[in-house]
Amino acid sequence: MSRTLAILVPVTLLITIWWSMVIIFDIPHFILPTPDRVAVVLFNRLGLISVHATTTALEIICGLLLGSFLGFVIACLIGDSKRLQSITMPALIISQALPVFAIAPILMLWLGYGFASKLAMTTLIVFFPVAASTLSGFRALPSSWETTFQTFQPRRSRLFFLVRLPLAIPYALSGVRVAASVAPIGAIVGEWVGSSSGLGYLMLHANGRGQTDLMFAALVVLCAEALVIWGITNRISHRFDQKYADTV
Amino acid sequence: MTKAFEEIPPNDPLLSIDKLNLGYQGQPPLATISWMIQRGQKVVLLGKSGSGKSTLLDTIVRGSSAIQCRTLRVAYLSQQPALLPWLSVLHNVLLGFKLRGEKILTQHLECARQLLIDVELPYFESQKAHQLSGGERSRVAIARALIEDADLVLLDEPFAALDRSTKIQMAKLCKQLLADKTVILVTHDPRDAQDWFNEAMVLTPGGLKGPFDLGHFKNDHALIQALDGDL
Repeated sequence: MSRTLAILVPVTLLITIWWSMVIIFDIPHFILPTPDRVAVVLFNRLGLISVHATTTALEIICGLLLGSFLGFVIACLIGDSKRLQSITMPALIISQALPVFAIAPILMLWLGYGFASKLAMTTLIVFFPVAASTLSGFRALPSSWETTFQTFQPRRSRLFFLVRLPLAIPYALSGVRVAASVAPIGAIVGEWVGSSSGLGYLMLHANGRGQTDLMFAALVVLCAEALVIWGITNRISHRFDQKYADTV
Repeated sequence: MTKAFEEIPPNDPLLSIDKLNLGYQGQPPLATISWMIQRGQKVVLLGKSGSGKSTLLDTIVRGSSAIQCRTLRVAYLSQQPALLPWLSVLHNVLLGFKLRGEKILTQHLECARQLLIDVELPYFESQKAHQLSGGERSRVAIARALIEDADLVLLDEPFAALDRSTKIQMAKLCKQLLADKTVILVTHDPRDAQDWFNEAMVLTPGGLKGPFDLGHFKNDHALIQALDGDL
């Protein structure tokens, strides 16, 4: 009950402020449509919106999965060696320092205007937070633990798979949580730069035709999509957290 | 490794440290020490915080050209018992076998169960490590050190995070279970070693001093003097 209220109260408040601003300042509907207009468009053009929403959702989900996988694997490959980390970190940081907007046209050129370029952009944006968090998980092993495990004369591979890797999992998952909240940026930017489908494309298309209400409807759906994806990621990572966290 | 150990004449020291520069790479040494520990000896290593006590134990475990340790069976217990939270108590006790890739035999399981009885945790074997209290975790770590049949047991303030009564209980248990082992206990509070150790060494910036009679440090003034290197 309190959870439902926690969602309903801010949403109601936001809609009230939005609605009252349109009425008080007499804002024309092509600048800021009233929530009821947006709701009507959302209902009437649900078919169209859902087609584009599916494209964007697929881009976000696939990018999140691929980016998380790559980030985790790269971190695992370099996590055990300080030398490899010092060699690869500059490249990783450069990949993140370049704004995704700046490389979007290049990715379009290389991968075309279809799904692949959006997937690449989302993957790129997701990859870094996951890799960086997983790496900090590898560094988080207290030195007294390392000394303790050293006394068992372990095999390096076993120490990695039985101790270091599981201890890094909660860190990796917190990276995935952060990544899930930024993943839609990659997909939408990709659609803006060049596409024929997706909510970003629909917004640009509606903008060109002065259909502000359709733009807002697409935005509402995008917001819902991002929240659902983040919520699922959060739930999954909490499950793992309970298993692996604590003690360290 | 066991064979090599058996061949050593009984009078030879188990651990000999010769002019070891204690400290971190690229920094001036904290102290230069030489020390010999006989088999079965039990000694408290006192020193101020940051004097290099834990670094010394760490160096013994990792090895150095200045250290000759005549056993490979070394156990290390720290304030954080290094139990993997997702494993059961029994599997934490058997962690050394898993890390070496050795097959866990029925006799190992029986031995682990017996050790859990010895450390007074008979009904805890299937509990996950994260469900245990601080004292219980330390006891599991002791059982793990014992199943490895270590000759040299290094205790790095293992009970510092525990309350006074649990601390006394743990010291009692260790005294009983580690009776035939060579033990070095690092601490800055000699009360942790009461009734268990007789001999104390003090690590000061001037080097390792001692041996002292542990009873000498019952008085705070003597302890402070020793830690400052004035004794």
